[in-house]
Amino acid sequence: MPSPQTPPIGSTALDPTAARPPLDDAVIERIDPAELRHRLTELRSQGFTVLLDIGGVDYLERAPRFDVVYHLLKLPARVASVSDVGRPERRRLLCGVPADRTTLPSVADLWPCADWAEREVFDLFGITFEGHPDLRRIQMPADWEGHPLRKDYPLRGPARERTPRPAFANKSNVRAGTPPSGRTAEALQRQIAIARGQAPPPGEAT
Amino acid sequence: MSAVDVPRPRELEIVEQSGNQMVVSMGPQHPSTHGVLQVITEIEGEVISRASPEIGYLHTGIEKSAENLFWTQASTVIERMDYLSPLTNALCYYLAVEKLLGIGDRIPPRAQQIRVLMSELHRIASHCVWLGTHGIDVGAISVFFYCFDLRENILDLTEQAGGARMHPNYLRLGGVNGDLPEGYLARLDALIEKFPGRMAELRRLLQKNPIFQDRTIDVGILTIEDALGWGATGPILRACGVAYDVRKAFPYSGFEQYEFDVPTRTEGDAYARFLVRLDEMDQSMRIISQVRKRLDEPGPVMIDDTKIAPPPKETIAVSMEALIHHFKIVSEGVRVPPGDVYVSVEGPRGELGYYVVSNGDNKPWRIRTRPPSMYHTQMLKTMTIGELIADMVVIIGSLDPVFGEVDR
Repeated sequence: MPSPQTPPIGSTALDPTAARPPLDDAVIERIDPAELRHRLTELRSQGFTVLLDIGGVDYLERAPRFDVVYHLLKLPARVASVSDVGRPERRRLLCGVPADRTTLPSVADLWPCADWAEREVFDLFGITFEGHPDLRRIQMPADWEGHPLRKDYPLRGPARERTPRPAFANKSNVRAGTPPSGRTAEALQRQIAIARGQAPPPGEAT
Repeated sequence: MSAVDVPRPRELEIVEQSGNQMVVSMGPQHPSTHGVLQVITEIEGEVISRASPEIGYLHTGIEKSAENLFWTQASTVIERMDYLSPLTNALCYYLAVEKLLGIGDRIPPRAQQIRVLMSELHRIASHCVWLGTHGIDVGAISVFFYCFDLRENILDLTEQAGGARMHPNYLRLGGVNGDLPEGYLARLDALIEKFPGRMAELRRLLQKNPIFQDRTIDVGILTIEDALGWGATGPILRACGVAYDVRKAFPYSGFEQYEFDVPTRTEGDAYARFLVRLDEMDQSMRIISQVRKRLDEPGPVMIDDTKIAPPPKETIAVSMEALIHHFKIVSEGVRVPPGDVYVSVEGPRGELGYYVVSNGDNKPWRIRTRPPSMYHTQMLKTMTIGELIADMVVIIGSLDPVFGEVDR
């Protein structure tokens, strides 16, 4: 059950990756889901030995809605000194995923580390990976509903009914029986009435 | 080998066992898993035939929380990820935001020196925790006390600079929060002086210790191909022979100005990782003593830009403009131009990266961490096959995972 507390969502037209100023952090490619697998296989054979990370981004109002981001790094697959490694090339692949078809090919056979990375994207964004050996939730409990890092996922979780107070904590309980001292409000009223010589208020006989 | 299904997490079922096979669930409450890691292992006699690490027991949704905080507030939760070296996380995050803002080259040199100092101090502190607990794992309990004594000195230095031991939130957008206090450098000198002796003690306790060597040499061997394919970075990759260090490959905060070596080994076993980390501690101290020499010169520690950093408190009472800027930054936060950027630093565990997306608002649209520990924990699936069940503990220890970062 979704909570009425929706997360604050920015109103700006969303494609930050297009409006990006030139920053010297990686070579960026934008790619379609259909070509993704082919392109990654190609890059793998070109020496991009490390798949640093797979991350997801939900742009909500943009089409395609999601971006799955692959960070690749070119490291030599042999014993290498600092000068051998040098300044390795970084490549970033942004793969747009439409909201109505959230499926991508898995690359867990190219880089084994993609296993958990893809499971995390699946868990937190609900994007499935075809051909993944063991696609199930990784961070959230197995029976969790929804995908928390989506922007329309409520920020505070489902609203729950308030836990009922235990019976012993209810104030009405105090009136349930006269304490041994007889110092209840009614007993006091009655004592006052008797002391003033008035008729005691109706109640249990003293 | 009969087909014994590894039970799914959190819905453990009774598995039929046959012959010599047995399914052992190690953790999530186990002292040697360094946090809340569950490894469901299938063993034949003493030998592990299959291992399935399960994580997520410490998932706190830090990435989601950070999306709903101001850019400057987000570092408070980000520091909680890798809680053994919090300032490394904050440093990487701020480097990414500063790159988006385009102010990366305007950070004052003294602020950069303090950042380098803090990140190297925290590398040593983090390795101290690793070494102490790794020692306990293999039965060398006294190492723990020596390590934690050294770490305590570093936490004291953190507290004096930032105000808190573990999560000081000392780094700020555009610099650091306040200069080092009076008398700080003298205490730093005392640590620099004490450190070589303490390291020699630690080495004497373990490095030539035959029991320790027996437990770690040829245990958990990782080939270069496996290490790269499984996304290993940091000391684990360097123990296989690839000298990839982000500080050398993509220098940040002026690391190119300091002289240091990148220690490597080629064996790729738990003992090699141990040696690499010990050498790293020495190199970190080498950097710290170089930073120390530069810290004698005073200078500003915050960027001179009132749109990004609030003006000094004392100017607020006398300047209307300063008051307005301060009010704007505190109540509305800083707006970061739209774009996405990936920045990484060399954390104690490996390449710690932040992929930050901004839509021009005062809150981050998305902060994705590249957690080195998560990729290292995943390697248990291959590294433990064919090893003894008792060596599982050594292998986990040699990977040095931090579960705040694995689960986030």
